Amino acid sequence: MKNHRQLLALLFCLAVTAIAPPLRAETVELTLPSRLVARAEFRQGDADKPAVLLLHGFLQTHQFPTIHRLTDGLAGDGYTVLAPTLSLGLPYRAQSMACEAIHRHTVGDDVAELDAWVKWLKARKVKEILLAGHSMGSITSIAYLTGRPDRGVTRLIGISIIEGSLKHGEQSRAPLIRRLRDEVRRGRREVEQHQFSFCQQYYSTPASLLSYLEWGPERILAGIDRVKVPVSMIMGSRDDRLGADWIPRLRKTRARVIVIDGANHFMDGQYEFDLYDQFLAEVKRPSR
Amino acid sequence: MKPLSIGRLALLYLTLSGLLLLAVGGYFWREAQRSAEQLRAHEARAARQELATALDAALGRLKSVGDALARWDETKQQLVFPEYYTLWRDNRARSVGLLPDTVRAIGLYGLDGGLLLGANSADPLPARLPGGTPLALFKREAGIEHIYYFLPVYADPDGTVPLGHLGLKLDLQDAMRQSAPFRYADLRSLRVDLPEGTAVAAEQAMRHIHVDALANRELESFQTMLRDTMSNLLLAAAASLVVAGLLLNRLLIHPLRHLSAEIDARRAPGSEIQPHKLRALPVLELENVRESFNDYQARLAELHHDLELRNRDFFDQARHDALSGVMNRRAFDEDWRDALQDRRLDNIALLLFDCDHFKAINDTYGHHVGDLVIQATAQCLLQALRADDRLYRLGGDEFAAMLTDTDKRQAGMVAERCLEQVIGHDFRQYGMSEPITISIGIALSEAERGKCPPITLTELQKRADLAMYAAKRPGGQKIMFYTPEIGTAEALVTSRAIHAVFRAIQDPGLIEIAYQAVIRLPQMEEAYAEALTRIRCDGELFFPCDIFPIVQCRNLDAEFDLAIIRAINRDLDNGVLPADKGISINLSASGIVNARVLDAMLALLEAERGRKIVVEITETALITQMETATENIRRLREAGALAALDDFGSGYSSLRYLASMPVDLVKFDISMVRLLETGDGKQRLMMEEITRMAINAGYELVAEGIESHELLDRAIGLGFAYAQGYYFGQPGETAAGATPAGCVAPCGAGALSPGN
Repeated sequence: MKNHRQLLALLFCLAVTAIAPPLRAETVELTLPSRLVARAEFRQGDADKPAVLLLHGFLQTHQFPTIHRLTDGLAGDGYTVLAPTLSLGLPYRAQSMACEAIHRHTVGDDVAELDAWVKWLKARKVKEILLAGHSMGSITSIAYLTGRPDRGVTRLIGISIIEGSLKHGEQSRAPLIRRLRDEVRRGRREVEQHQFSFCQQYYSTPASLLSYLEWGPERILAGIDRVKVPVSMIMGSRDDRLGADWIPRLRKTRARVIVIDGANHFMDGQYEFDLYDQFLAEVKRPSR
Repeated sequence: MKPLSIGRLALLYLTLSGLLLLAVGGYFWREAQRSAEQLRAHEARAARQELATALDAALGRLKSVGDALARWDETKQQLVFPEYYTLWRDNRARSVGLLPDTVRAIGLYGLDGGLLLGANSADPLPARLPGGTPLALFKREAGIEHIYYFLPVYADPDGTVPLGHLGLKLDLQDAMRQSAPFRYADLRSLRVDLPEGTAVAAEQAMRHIHVDALANRELESFQTMLRDTMSNLLLAAAASLVVAGLLLNRLLIHPLRHLSAEIDARRAPGSEIQPHKLRALPVLELENVRESFNDYQARLAELHHDLELRNRDFFDQARHDALSGVMNRRAFDEDWRDALQDRRLDNIALLLFDCDHFKAINDTYGHHVGDLVIQATAQCLLQALRADDRLYRLGGDEFAAMLTDTDKRQAGMVAERCLEQVIGHDFRQYGMSEPITISIGIALSEAERGKCPPITLTELQKRADLAMYAAKRPGGQKIMFYTPEIGTAEALVTSRAIHAVFRAIQDPGLIEIAYQAVIRLPQMEEAYAEALTRIRCDGELFFPCDIFPIVQCRNLDAEFDLAIIRAINRDLDNGVLPADKGISINLSASGIVNARVLDAMLALLEAERGRKIVVEITETALITQMETATENIRRLREAGALAALDDFGSGYSSLRYLASMPVDLVKFDISMVRLLETGDGKQRLMMEEITRMAINAGYELVAEGIESHELLDRAIGLGFAYAQGYYFGQPGETAAGATPAGCVAPCGAGALSPGN
């Protein structure tokens, strides 16, 4: 029955898409405080609907399928959507950044760029912004919201939120963090290679890696609780990147956790519709 | 145009064949070389084109790589944050997989045109951007060809926000070598005519790059194979020409020369036409020519031989008498001419032989026996002549022998031997009962020695002829030498007698008939008279002994018989004989079978009906043409004539014929009658028996040659019914009563009836 509904929904979307006027898809650029120029896809939606800022995952761009499908879906439903691509220190970045590239970007840089994009939306007279992030984007969003977020941001919807993990497990995170903090404190900037997140060879400066490592599970869970806007977390039951206790631990936070049965980390395939349904449901959920 | 010898033609053929082979081989070799050169030129162009293509490809790939690097975010990152530029340049940029190994250096230039953080020491890029971008330069450095490519790097995809420039340095040879396998260009031979360190636009690099084509092993192999093949072919062709020359020499030239030499040798004047066989030739056509030539030679030799035989036969036939085998008149004339030319006439004796009574023999026993007599006579004469003496048959029964280096004595001895040889020959083997005798006249040329001009054959033959006439004279010697006296008398007589005979035939008035009485016995009264012929011509009287040899020699028997009949008619018309007096007329053997003579006789019988007319016929006529003679005698007898067989017992009759003779009277020859007087007892007994037998057979007998009373008595005693002879008086009392004392026989055929 559930699949049947999903199929009907897909057909409906296709029908709407076919008869609806073409949506305005616009690539916009934003000169960041770092003087780099970042680019984003902007969809202008109905003014009475909140804008949704969709933030991609680690090293990805707004063209990542999970984000792109949500962008299209939301824009189709009349929502103003802004899907920026974090520069990660690269001007006009349009490609996924390779693991082997020299990573000198930090979570703080990401948060600053997110803030700039929120301000960009705000400059477009958007009153209510729903902040959504996929994977590491969710952490960036939490970092933003636990910092000095714009008041226009009224909700956080996280998708497949997961920390940046090390190959050797969480037990190695603390010693590495300590060493990296020491490196940063001593001003060392030599690029190091680690197995981080999905990268087998991840080259980064100590500060860069440290910024991501410091957002470990505990800090994430704590950050959720510290976010002052409603938080929803949509998780896939078959996300193999999650620890066994991650979803339960999320449930213990103030976040509303929605688990899509059978979906993986990217919620692709048939689960993209479940994701959208759930996501749209959360978007429509009253913020207060 | 002078024809060439087969040797020169063969040499010319072989030379032309060799030149043609060389020309063809040279043409193919030159074509192969030209094709090889064209192929090399094509490969050189292909190599250059291949190099240009490789250069374009390398440059294209370099630009593609440059473009990709320029669009790469991390490149832009280095231009924005060049803190980790060297790490990126030396590691990250090469590890990402965009840069091929042939790119020796990569570098970024800032917006100010300066190379970020200095150059790579190994393959340095220019410290400053060389000029406007994008720019591709070709440069030869330290013997290595490089392509430098500089292009701008923009921050934004639209290329409106420049960040700096990207520089790449490409090892051209390695890049081209790795781009694709070279089929034609030999990169090891790559040469650049660009000064060291000088750069030109990469698009013009090919103007300064030179390369050789790779060695075409297939072409080299082909050329090697072609060279070997051509060499082998030339050797094989040369060997073939040598072998062909040898074969031509052996199979054609030598045989043809040999054949030609043989033909020339045969063609030479005086060469013998002999079937000299040429050796067998190895070429079929030549062998056919040789065989044909040999056959032709053989046939020619055979024809020549046959011609020689024929000529010899013709010569022999022309010079020999077919019947007797001795030489003929032609040979006689030729030999005589030769003798005249050789001046051998001084000691020549010409012997003329004539067979006595041959015509009578021929008429009596037939031509076959006559031929046998001729042959036997010739053989006898040959046996009697000396080895070097030659015998000729001049015609009929007349032979001649030319005896060289002979005097009168020797000639006489030879003539004696000839006469004895003939007389001694047994002619009875041919069915004859009579002996054969010959008359020999001899003329000698020695008598004329010293005379000029020399005696001619005609003269000598005439003399021998006259001598032979003299020898034929009855009762004379059978061998007579010519003497001037004989020559004078005989020649004159013979010439006048012939003249008289021919005139008498034309004018029977010249014929005088002497009638000799035939006496009936024993009454002794004249029963009838036998007409005896004389010719009075130019005052001279010719007797039968002169007349009939000429008549018989000239075959004038029938004509002369007619003349006699006309003469008798004349006498009867003139009343020379009383009307009751019978007459006996001699007809020749030819006359009794001649129709005109028969008609004349029948007319005489008709005209003188009642007169007793006796026709005397020599039995030879009955024998030779028995049927005709018998028939004519029968008709004469029917017309009233009596037939008498004349000269019975003279050697021309036999008892066998006597029994069937259609005659009434039998006239015993004088030689038989004389046996009654001169014969021995046996001969007389035979005479008595024959007489009695004939009488018993119903014939009346006439005895010729009664010249005495005693002989008359004996004839009467034997029962002869009639008798005639000088005892009863000379014939021709009415006219020429003279006895022919000097009568000669002109041609030896003296079978004259005594009645004539």
